[in-house]
Amino acid sequence: MDDRFVQAFSHWFTISSNLLLIIGVIYFIKLPKVKRANIHYWLIFLILAFNVGYETMGAYLNYNSEFNRSVNAYLGNTEYPRFNLWLFNIARRQVEVILYLLLIKSFLVPSMRKYIDRMILVFIPIVCILQFSGIEPLYLNQPIIFSIGANMILIGSGLYFIGLITEEQYLACDPLRLPSFWQMTFIMFTFTLTYISSVALMYLYQVNPVLGKALQDIGIALELLTLGVFTLSIASPLLPRIFEKEPSYGTN
Amino acid sequence: MEPTEDQVYVIIFATIFLGGIMSTFVISMVFIHRQRQAQNLQKMDQVKSEHEKTLLNIENEIQQETLTHIGRELHDNIGQLLSLAKLNFGSIKPEKIAEGRDILGQAIQEVRGLSKQLNLDWVESISINEFIEQQLERIQNTGFCETSLDANFELIDLPKDRKLVLIRVIQESLNNALKHASPENILISMRENGESKQILIKDDGKGFDSSQKSNGSGMFNLKKRMETIGGEFNLTSSVGKGTEITLTLPN
Repeated sequence: MDDRFVQAFSHWFTISSNLLLIIGVIYFIKLPKVKRANIHYWLIFLILAFNVGYETMGAYLNYNSEFNRSVNAYLGNTEYPRFNLWLFNIARRQVEVILYLLLIKSFLVPSMRKYIDRMILVFIPIVCILQFSGIEPLYLNQPIIFSIGANMILIGSGLYFIGLITEEQYLACDPLRLPSFWQMTFIMFTFTLTYISSVALMYLYQVNPVLGKALQDIGIALELLTLGVFTLSIASPLLPRIFEKEPSYGTN
Repeated sequence: MEPTEDQVYVIIFATIFLGGIMSTFVISMVFIHRQRQAQNLQKMDQVKSEHEKTLLNIENEIQQETLTHIGRELHDNIGQLLSLAKLNFGSIKPEKIAEGRDILGQAIQEVRGLSKQLNLDWVESISINEFIEQQLERIQNTGFCETSLDANFELIDLPKDRKLVLIRVIQESLNNALKHASPENILISMRENGESKQILIKDDGKGFDSSQKSNGSGMFNLKKRMETIGGEFNLTSSVGKGTEITLTLPN
């Protein structure tokens, strides 16, 4: 096998995330049909698959630099042909933000869901304007888009926690045994701890690459933990001793 | 320290600071949740004990009324039947003795009927519609006023405790109408829509100004009782225009 191929796909994150996806697929198949149709499970599964999918695609782009170069050239980036930020921007900073917002929405009381809908409706045109006007090109770091998305997710998580301490359905549960509590906590931590390093990514790599790499590794570790929580959430109906049933407002 | 080094430190400390804030936030949320959960449990216990108390009061009231009714029945009905039977048995005529035997049989039937009313098992076997029909028939028989029932559903599947409360509220509302309003007509209608079931008790009696705060506790008790079974009690009335009571039960 090609050495470069092995090198591209042998990163600990790529291996671990793919393993988590395999476990997630097994548990998702084992879930009863009713659970598989429930947004709390299929959306989590979709996010897990999407996350691992784009990370693996990122690894592939590192291997097939020719393809990466041609995509960059198509987008107008001839200065940094090895960058695969375009994929990271589309997948993590745009599509995944919307998926996370939809996930948060599924846990909210119906009266609060409109706020998430509005956030998504505001987020999409802002991203389009910033990207197509050239303020934040797709192939470079997009700190403004990231910070808008991260703030929306943090606000959404805040709404979830408000529901947790005010809604009867959640007050009847033990939060530490709720998959949604751990999902929200890890999503929040991932976006908070990677906030500054993501916004200052280019600066950090120029000024102190070691620190930049260390902060990025923290981000990767947190992302892996979040994926682990997602896998456990998919398996949660099969682990009734550890997890409680997710409260429902009857509209999911 | 170089300016760039300063900026790197700012990034590190800001990240740690944000992480600290988030940890504090999540931990506080868990603590607040625990506190509220305890408060909620306490509130639930309170509601439960209030509900049990209301139920006990209602059972007592119904038993008290039943005893009064039985006393009256024993004196006015069964006592009379037994006296008549005694008179007939004292006769030497065989037809009188046969008549006495019939009267005794009738008295036995009446005693059986009364014994059934001594416990509250009848509540389980009767639907709310049947109960309302009985009550309206009783009122109609007294000749005080005309009554009618118009229902588009049959209320059967209520648990005994909720049924008891509802029966008592309906009984009390009818008693109030008879006692205070002197109506010519009492109409009860039962309507069901997707979200709730409603029982409307309407009379064309004297009425009163329902916007004035009442000194009595009757209406307050009825409202409270409906709330203990998850329902609502609404009253509208005006002088000379009768009174309308709406009892709402969630579906």
